[in-house]
Amino acid sequence: MAVDTMVVLPGDTVPQEALPTPMGKKKHLTLGPGLRHMPPSTVSSTIAGGLVTDPKKVAAWIESNSGRYLPATGDLVIATVQTSTAEAFNCTLTPHTPYAALPHLAFEGASKKTRPQLAPNSLVYARVASATKDFAPELTCVDPSTGKSEGLGPLKSGMVFKISLGMARRLLAGKKGGVVLLEALGEKMGFEIAVGRNGVVVVDGGNVKSTLAIGKAVQEVDEQALGEKAQKKLADRVLKSV
Amino acid sequence: MAPDAVLSHLHRADGSATYTHNGYCIIGAVNGPIEVLRRDERPEEATIEVNVRPAVGVGSPKERHIETLLHNTLRSIISTPSIPRTLVQITLQVHSLPDEDSSTGVSPSLTLLPHLLHTALLALLSASIPLSTTLTAVLIALPSTNTPTACTQLLSPTAIELLRAKPIRSAHVFAFSGEGKMLLNESDGTFSYEEWDEAAEAAEEVCCKEDGAVVLAENMEVDGREGENLDGWLRSVVRTKVEHEQRWKSAR
Repeated sequence: MAVDTMVVLPGDTVPQEALPTPMGKKKHLTLGPGLRHMPPSTVSSTIAGGLVTDPKKVAAWIESNSGRYLPATGDLVIATVQTSTAEAFNCTLTPHTPYAALPHLAFEGASKKTRPQLAPNSLVYARVASATKDFAPELTCVDPSTGKSEGLGPLKSGMVFKISLGMARRLLAGKKGGVVLLEALGEKMGFEIAVGRNGVVVVDGGNVKSTLAIGKAVQEVDEQALGEKAQKKLADRVLKSV
Repeated sequence: MAPDAVLSHLHRADGSATYTHNGYCIIGAVNGPIEVLRRDERPEEATIEVNVRPAVGVGSPKERHIETLLHNTLRSIISTPSIPRTLVQITLQVHSLPDEDSSTGVSPSLTLLPHLLHTALLALLSASIPLSTTLTAVLIALPSTNTPTACTQLLSPTAIELLRAKPIRSAHVFAFSGEGKMLLNESDGTFSYEEWDEAAEAAEEVCCKEDGAVVLAENMEVDGREGENLDGWLRSVVRTKVEHEQRWKSAR
């Protein structure tokens, strides 16, 4: 199997011709995870992986499916509430990392008098509001411009399944991710699924049997890197079993 | 013979690698960036913790010494300022040693050191910890010149080769960064400056990529020319990793 992507090692300089050139309205080159700019014009990588470029967005990043999740602004994550302080919930995104703060008022319709009550270990589907290397990440469950939740908020039922970070990105990427399993299952049965960029999915299939079947199927697609045909086959098998 | 490497096979660690070469087998695991103990916290850079576990028994001052060497070398390749106030925990478990390792006449910490460095690097790559460069290391042994069978240098010798070339006058471990800068040198025994210089040059040839062949080297690995050069070997390992991660793109 040939990979047409360029493979880079940490410290490699990415040649200028491999990067998209800014044209038209987009004047700046955007560097994503794994790339570092060293003035005046050197771009080098910091992790090992394949170089991916998007000429339309004038962006380049390093694709790698390993390691720990590092929060980035705008990511959808599934956070676990640990403790509650006077103004915010302390949540974890990955084990053994500093708490991410989820303010009590960052929920839809929350006010000082009606605060959401979340017990320790409850799950919240949230967006990373800010994440820099110098501060603990901050989460939010509302869109700041509309004040609506847009589907974010406490996850009341379902079961947690761990998937790889790359699989989480694929599930959130829609068509580009090449995951047709959920559509194929959704034609025949109803279920809810929430995907967090931190490698967590919460599946609620209404009953234990279908929840488990769907969660296991998603993990199987991840581990065995199933293609579209194999995914449809798997979906048929799952539908038959429940 | 090029070393064997398996990446990301321990599912509870953030990054892991098993490395096998010349009878040395080491399992490495990396966790990070994670929360650091308050007293170890550094305001503007990451803290690095290296644990070396021997094949038999618990750690001794010898392991502590190797840990210090690894710590100082790895600190210069991990880009610590980009993950401040965090901990990168590197655990290296020596799984097996060749039977002849203890009777080679070379300090066991020297024979083990290049393998530990490679394992640590592979585990760091697997954990996607930001690095400023890569690293390659090699052991060079100089046998006594008065033995009849002695060749001038033994490059990355196996334990049996060392045993046959006994007595070994001096042994050197060199580590080079991806840009070809020397990161570590540990020498043991008696040797002249000229001998050391020659050894360093030979080590550089094995470790670093050929000058000006950066773009060329990309295409070369496809033809299966890996293994001659440690930089080329590292690239082929990473290529395999990327291919494994992206196999869903071509799956049916």
